[in-house]
Amino acid sequence: MNGKTSRRKQLFLFRWKEYGVGYLFMLPWLIGFIAFVAFPVGWSLWNSFNQVFITSEGFKYTWVGLNNFRRMLIENNAYPIILLTYMQEVLLIIPLILIFSFFVSLLLNERFPGRAWMRALFFLPVIFATGQVIMELFGQGAGQLPFVQDYKLDVILREYFNESTANMLLGILGKAVIILWYSGVQILIFIAGFQTIPKTVYEAVKVDGASPWESFWKITFPGMLPFIGLNAVYTIVDLFTFPLNPVMEIVRNNMFSPTTGYGYASAMAWLYFAIIMVLLGITLWLTYRATKGRGDVR
Amino acid sequence: MLLSFRKQITFSRISLVVFLTGIGIFMLLPIIFLFNNAFKPLNELFLFPPRIFVQHPTMYNFEQLFLHTSAGVVPFTRYLFNSVFIALITTFSVLIVSTMAGYVLSKHRFHFKAFIMGAILIALMFTPETVAIPRYLIVSGLGLKNSYLAHILPFLASPVAVFLMKQFIDQIPTPLIEAAKLDGATDMYIFIRIIIPLTSPAVATAAIITFQTVYMDVEGSTLYMTKETMKTLAYYVEAMTLNIPGVAQISIASSIGLLMFLPNLIIFLLFQRKMIQTMLHSGVK
Repeated sequence: MNGKTSRRKQLFLFRWKEYGVGYLFMLPWLIGFIAFVAFPVGWSLWNSFNQVFITSEGFKYTWVGLNNFRRMLIENNAYPIILLTYMQEVLLIIPLILIFSFFVSLLLNERFPGRAWMRALFFLPVIFATGQVIMELFGQGAGQLPFVQDYKLDVILREYFNESTANMLLGILGKAVIILWYSGVQILIFIAGFQTIPKTVYEAVKVDGASPWESFWKITFPGMLPFIGLNAVYTIVDLFTFPLNPVMEIVRNNMFSPTTGYGYASAMAWLYFAIIMVLLGITLWLTYRATKGRGDVR
Repeated sequence: MLLSFRKQITFSRISLVVFLTGIGIFMLLPIIFLFNNAFKPLNELFLFPPRIFVQHPTMYNFEQLFLHTSAGVVPFTRYLFNSVFIALITTFSVLIVSTMAGYVLSKHRFHFKAFIMGAILIALMFTPETVAIPRYLIVSGLGLKNSYLAHILPFLASPVAVFLMKQFIDQIPTPLIEAAKLDGATDMYIFIRIIIPLTSPAVATAAIITFQTVYMDVEGSTLYMTKETMKTLAYYVEAMTLNIPGVAQISIASSIGLLMFLPNLIIFLLFQRKMIQTMLHSGVK
């Protein structure tokens, strides 16, 4: 009896020691997170169910329930449209960025003279693809591909495809610059990912008579799946917090407007986040499912 | 047979290099543009359609910048010091905090782990604008207004950095850590001697991204600082390009754009060499 309790006590102590290290390492991040992220985010969720006005005595809250959401979806004629068009655009760009960066990192993984320089070059856009600099560049018209107009590509496309397909293709061409400039981090993650696949595996399948094509689909691709998932998440986040994002702009405009106020803007932001969350959830679920069979490899 | 094989290789290699150079030059374009823009005279800045290369380089834009900054109450160098100081301290602390968190999230067992991961994912989505007002109330409630801490603390719990770190540390084989533990290594030792060296590519990436965000941030200066001496260069740049009327604005914007960009470029050049080296010889296999 006595021995049993002391053993349980020991187990408890052991587990506490193991868990304690976890908590200790987590602590600094957690404090910062609660104070500057979790609490403000929770507050804005509460705001989204309220009518908030900033008066001289401080904030005035009136509980309105789901009224903010109803108003912005039914009465506001700009928000749902902007949200949907931006969604469409992003859903188109994400796979393109992933494919492009995968392809480029595959090439950059080959041996050739000047490889280190080339890798640095492709990572370079990361340092100007955020905030001020990209705004400036787009403002000065550096964001467009000149050859689209020069060779009358838009006319040609409209002639050979129907209206909606042509518009979509033109949209992609217009976004080519963004795709190029926004794949820096993704390329880097992919290159790092290629290093995790041991060279001996490639040698083994080569001896067994696999062609490069087969070894790509049987070895490289499955090995890279977790990284594709990670990159998909990163890309989604990157695009949705993009500074030129039209949805954020409309949220910002409504924040201090006298007729709508902070609560209304919070509701708009929350609906937007809910959609992104669903998208992320799907991405993570797919990655999890695709890698589940070989759980011990990770 | 060997000869033809080799020939094929060189041909594909050459086309590979040519192709990559083509895209690479495109990647370089904005930087070329920035450098050229800073030295353009006024008539070339307003040229339509805009040209990338400068025809008659001049220092006029920098003279204008110098003229306007010397008229200000607070010297230009003060803003520069604030920015560099804040960015360096923040980057350093973000890296330590998020690597620590990433390590235990990946390799340790404790309660609420799934909950914390969920919270990180949610937090990834939040742009600072939407939580600006609650954040302001917290900062002023803690009495941090007009101190460097108000610049640094809000960035500390960066969800992006933790997410990157956690995913990278997942790649380090657990047996390696268990072996170290059996040999009597403490958690601190494992963290410093095993985790940090093996994650250096991710550390370098996170460093570049964090530095970038902090350096370009204007929110801190606009909301939490009332004293002019505590504001950062990014704020100063924005205020200046908005407030100066007329053509001088474009001229100053082009020269200051280059000046703002240079520290980023330097940090990039410093870290990328290390990053690429560690990626080539890393023990993460």
